[in-house]
Amino acid sequence: MPRVTVTVRDSGGRTATANADYTIAQPVLGGYYLSGGADPTADMAGGNFRSLTQYRSFADGYIFPGYQRPWLTTLGKSGIKINMVLELKHYGAPNAGPQTFTVDGTSYTVPAPAMTIQQRPGTTWPKAYGYGQVLAGQCDGLFARALSQYRTLGFPVNIQLASELDTDHEFGTSEAGKAYTWAESDARAVQAVTYMVNWFRGRALPAGTTFSVGLGGFDRACFQRTHPESLMARLDHLQWNVYATNPGHTALDRFRRTKDWAVADLGPVALSRPVIIAEWGVRVAEIPNQAAWIATVPAAIARLNAERGPRIVRTNYFNSGWGTLSPKATGLSALKAAYATRPYV
Amino acid sequence: MAAPTASASLNASIYSPGDQMSLTVTYGDADTRPLTLTIVVTDAQGNSSAPVRVAAVIDPLTVTVTDDSGRTWTRLSDNGTVAVYRAVA
Repeated sequence: MPRVTVTVRDSGGRTATANADYTIAQPVLGGYYLSGGADPTADMAGGNFRSLTQYRSFADGYIFPGYQRPWLTTLGKSGIKINMVLELKHYGAPNAGPQTFTVDGTSYTVPAPAMTIQQRPGTTWPKAYGYGQVLAGQCDGLFARALSQYRTLGFPVNIQLASELDTDHEFGTSEAGKAYTWAESDARAVQAVTYMVNWFRGRALPAGTTFSVGLGGFDRACFQRTHPESLMARLDHLQWNVYATNPGHTALDRFRRTKDWAVADLGPVALSRPVIIAEWGVRVAEIPNQAAWIATVPAAIARLNAERGPRIVRTNYFNSGWGTLSPKATGLSALKAAYATRPYV
Repeated sequence: MAAPTASASLNASIYSPGDQMSLTVTYGDADTRPLTLTIVVTDAQGNSSAPVRVAAVIDPLTVTVTDDSGRTWTRLSDNGTVAVYRAVA
């Protein structure tokens, strides 16, 4: 930590000194995600990309680095910081039944996922391993399988538990035939996430492993409910996602929204944690000039980081869904230009 | 003679590269006194010159700022009790 020293000397040679210490933060890491979890290497070439988000289901037998994803190992070993979103949501496995598998010589049987989430009316509700199942220890085999693969990866990652708990719980959840409100689901998730973090932290992890809990960050009450100090003491980062979906949305307003709620509502432990923006994006339908909007992001991040509260340390552009870059080449070059600007350098 | 006093405060504890940094130094010494000498020259015939005023300081203070990371601090202002320095993170 650098130190500035002030010396005041009088004519007789008597002195007084005073010190002030400070820290120069690392540049913010500019990051990316490519639709479908596809290999982003080509898109990132020639740009100051230093961070990446990936998504895996605990149901998937190939979590680290993932099925046919050797490029993730290459990127990680080259120094790209990986934010690995690990979800109880069930995908990546052939059916939603029970699984029996062996991890390092131990056989595990995990029951079928018993929870439904993202219960938006008129849609098919995805299945997920239930918070009750987690707390009953029924999912320990899934965690053991992920950990065993993680240990062979060769570099540490941030493990983000859940993608967006607010999206998962917005319309309530159900587990084993019992319905839970949004708030009840949040409380159950906090218990389950605590169980999972404790499960992993209780075992040998690659040095530098960090944890966070996943939120879209669009609902203030939910954000507060899912960030109690007891859980934040076990986590290393805050996290939320940022989308511009309205012509009036500015980068400063969108990145600021959840931060302001956090500063107002969360405790000192939570606010001591740096922030990973696991996803940010600009929806082209409402904001046709994505490049112009992207160009305003560096100044917004610099300004937010100069203000009180937790610092944003990684921002990963979500080139998929709402964030799809169109035309891709224009958007990518805007992203590369942004990431070549303070505070990314 | 009294010993001087000094305090130093930065406008932040964490800076991003390129940020403007501001250091405020508050200092003093009980012995330090500004004074003004007024000189009038009078000859044998009693003719006096116009008064000439000279400012002086008893036990003046010097302030130096060093940074162990080699960062250069530039003095922006100094009124004798408060000095402000700037640097770039």
